[in-house]
Amino acid sequence: MRILTPSELEAFLRSLEEEYDVRVPIALPDGTRTLGRMREGPLAIEGGPLLMKPTSIFFPHHETELEYEEGIVLMQAPLSRPLCVVGLTARDAECLSFVDEFFQSNYRDDIYFNKRNGALIVVLSGRCGEDGEFLKIAGGKCDIELISEGAEFIMVPYTQTGRDLSARIDPGKEVAKDRLAALERESSALGTEEEELLRRASQIVLEDRVPEEFWLEISRRCIACTACNLFCPTCTCFEVYDRRPKMRIERQRLWDSCQLDGFMREASGHNPMGSEALRTRRRIHHKLAADVVRWGRISCFLCGRCDKVCPTGIGIKAVSREIVKRHGRW
Amino acid sequence: MKRTLTTCPYCGTGCTFYLVSNEKGRLVGIEPSTENPVTQGQLCVKGWNAFEFVQHPDRLTEPLIRRGEGLEPASWDEALDLVVKSLQEIQGRYGNDSVVFFSSAKATNEENYLLMKLARAVFGTNNVDHCARLCHSSTVVGLAATFGSGAMTNTISCVDLADCILVTGSNTTEQHPLIGSRIIKSSQNGARLIVVDNRNIRLAHLADLHIRCKNGTDVAFFNSMMHVIIQEGLEDEAFISTRTENYEHLQRVVAQYPPDQAAQITGTTPQEIIQAARMFARADRSMIIYSMGITQHTHGVDNVKALANLALLTGNLGRPGTGVNPLRGQNNVQGACDMGALPDVYTGYQRVTDASLRRKFEAAWGVAGLPDQIGLTSTTAIDAMGDGKVKGLFILGENVMMSHPDQNHVQRMLQNLEFLAVQEIFPTLTTQFAHVVLPATSFAEKDGTFTSTERRVQRVRKAINPIGQSRPDWEILCEISRRAGYPGMTYSSPQEIMEEIARLTPLYAGISYERIDRVGLQWPCPDPGHPGTPILHQGRFTRGLGLFSPVEYQPPAELPDSEYPLLLSTGRCYFHFHGASMTKRSRLLQREVPLPYVEVSPEDAIELGLLDREWVYVSTRRGEVKAQARITDVVMKGVLFMPFHFEEGAANVLTHNALDPTSKIPEYKVCAARIRRAR
Repeated sequence: MRILTPSELEAFLRSLEEEYDVRVPIALPDGTRTLGRMREGPLAIEGGPLLMKPTSIFFPHHETELEYEEGIVLMQAPLSRPLCVVGLTARDAECLSFVDEFFQSNYRDDIYFNKRNGALIVVLSGRCGEDGEFLKIAGGKCDIELISEGAEFIMVPYTQTGRDLSARIDPGKEVAKDRLAALERESSALGTEEEELLRRASQIVLEDRVPEEFWLEISRRCIACTACNLFCPTCTCFEVYDRRPKMRIERQRLWDSCQLDGFMREASGHNPMGSEALRTRRRIHHKLAADVVRWGRISCFLCGRCDKVCPTGIGIKAVSREIVKRHGRW
Repeated sequence: MKRTLTTCPYCGTGCTFYLVSNEKGRLVGIEPSTENPVTQGQLCVKGWNAFEFVQHPDRLTEPLIRRGEGLEPASWDEALDLVVKSLQEIQGRYGNDSVVFFSSAKATNEENYLLMKLARAVFGTNNVDHCARLCHSSTVVGLAATFGSGAMTNTISCVDLADCILVTGSNTTEQHPLIGSRIIKSSQNGARLIVVDNRNIRLAHLADLHIRCKNGTDVAFFNSMMHVIIQEGLEDEAFISTRTENYEHLQRVVAQYPPDQAAQITGTTPQEIIQAARMFARADRSMIIYSMGITQHTHGVDNVKALANLALLTGNLGRPGTGVNPLRGQNNVQGACDMGALPDVYTGYQRVTDASLRRKFEAAWGVAGLPDQIGLTSTTAIDAMGDGKVKGLFILGENVMMSHPDQNHVQRMLQNLEFLAVQEIFPTLTTQFAHVVLPATSFAEKDGTFTSTERRVQRVRKAINPIGQSRPDWEILCEISRRAGYPGMTYSSPQEIMEEIARLTPLYAGISYERIDRVGLQWPCPDPGHPGTPILHQGRFTRGLGLFSPVEYQPPAELPDSEYPLLLSTGRCYFHFHGASMTKRSRLLQREVPLPYVEVSPEDAIELGLLDREWVYVSTRRGEVKAQARITDVVMKGVLFMPFHFEEGAANVLTHNALDPTSKIPEYKVCAARIRRAR
């Protein structure tokens, strides 16, 4: 474990740019924070979880899967340098691990792993949230974790690559493990209430105790903006289609949304989820019930994005709260 | 990756986002701005997909010239010279006013300014207009008469502060989604919501009061609400006595609309009228939000005036959480009006009939003898192609075949022209009739500004290089001007154009690219130190006192009869935009609504023996189109609703060219129709 001042951290991240295509939290011209290269904007480590879908680095909004021209199929070229992603939260890292498993299973999604393989994942936690809010400590699921004490960052490596990189830092910056103890205590108290809420909501949905009227009522408020899906780190649905500029075919993939009627209609010519109420139910059901059956865990890791961006307040936490309040066993 | 902050090209809400482009210069995504006061990290489904059409293979990439039956590629020099030569020859033969220019609410402020300058300073005609004629011309006329300024009086964030929101003729969650969602939130936080709308829209489900007036009876309904308010002493006496004039006249007129009689006209109950009146008048801050359901009538101006009267009567103007708030449909329809792409005004609503203002613009533009007669509107100009008064038409970014009423009529009129030039990004039904097609760039390939519905002037920024040989509209207009022999339209950038606009336009005098770099400013912004004006008419109306402008109920021009027993209303759906040239080239939007459809009530469907998504013919006295029937309780018995996005089932084949007498807006919302099964 080494300890770094913000300027030492910045120097360390810059040093990684020789081997990695480094993406860090940056501030864009109007103050919006996102993941970008260091030359694309000032570093914006502080401020909490980034609003953008953090897994979009490996699974972007829109990309060309392959191109076909004059009898030749061109696949996506391998990256010239592996990616390094700095700024995921502990919850984001859990999401990433879920998405890794998803894209690995059944058939392996080479387009995803073309970017994901060899990528260095650096999680941010501790006292670097919005207005100094404490962010949960990951304790794994990444190569390196940077735990903010407020003024400085404790750097904890979890993988061999992480340990090799951290070893490059001045050994004089080494700190003892017990320095983490207080921070870990603070972290372990975080979010347990919300986790319990989600578990209870999941149980109620699994037991099919939520009546149709509930979904109808919730769906009345949905304006089908699709933001819940497009910000969700564990939403992985995409649409595949061809564009045909002159003498060429470009096979594209584009983030899709289960909140759209056409999402289900297309595959089979009809849509069993043809009502807004069913589509709303589907989204929540998927995270809280279907994935529990299929993957053995709830696929919402409480990152909070859908609750933050839903223009009418029907993010997963808000809906779970309603489910537990109205249909929980008392 | 590069991220370019810009403004959404769809509706008038004015969301800003970052266009994400990769190393190859391709757009690969969108990230909403978290800092913009309207966007707040959110977008609607069209906004999320607003990057995808830009690089669609259908883009126009080279100038086209008509040779024989077809359009063939040509050089920019050849195409531009032909435009100038043709328009000048027509003017030489038939006079300056034989040529008309249509500008575009999709284009930037700078481009709208240049097109109106081109028409007036270079081609010497006030025949310049744009599609605001088809959406909110009745607002501009109605609110200018009553308040002195024809724009949204308040700001979008006022939705959060209102105690009562009256939404009428606006399917806000579909057409201005981020305003619609704000209304939902405000209502959840305790604001009363009154929806006066024939259609059972999303907001209607959540409303405290949903009133389904018969189409086109709005004046009777709002007059009757005012009748009740006055009867029950709920009017704001202090406001009326200090801030308004002509109140006695209003009293006399609305006295003729007691609820029992108005209920007969509107198909509602007296109780509904009384409830709405009490709910609206008793709240401290009541806000009116309206859109095309109010404006697109032969009595559109009257509808707007009725709403303005209601706000004046209850003192709901010039304060936070109140106001008369027309939601402008296009990204820059407010700006195109502000820029004077209208036949009667220069920028900032400075009248062409005012000799001193003409002299001001003559001096600034270095020309003499600017035309002093008000020009043709886009609707009357189309008709004037039939009687030979208009021989040449230059269109910047409008698909008139899809947007104007009575498509067969429009087609005949376009075919009468001696010369038609269209500046576009995609081939459209209108470019088919063009003699020259000039390929323009999309919003993603140019700089400029758009002005949103809340009068906020915001930046548009170039994210990628122009596709093919396409050029930004402003550059094309400058080239035309130069070739026409006018040296006064040479600019190095849109920023320089905005500097000229600010010099000539008191409303925009304090706007500069430096000041709107991060967040836009709301006009009036009269000097470089002015913070902008979120709420109009505070303490004083633009015209001094608010003018009560009483109006009488007039029925629509064509109502159902035995031959055409149903009422057809037209509009938009959530997933497409207008002529759909952009949305139908966006994968998810097109997948969602790929086919023309007509909404039919369950009662009518049973009577006609129709199944959901069955093909039907919809006909009116103008023509017939084929569409899928969507059986839904969104529409009332006896009413059909069709969106106008689809070339292969164009609702505007059916609509009629009946115009409001002053604003010249067509009555898209009411005509008589019938349907039958297609098999």
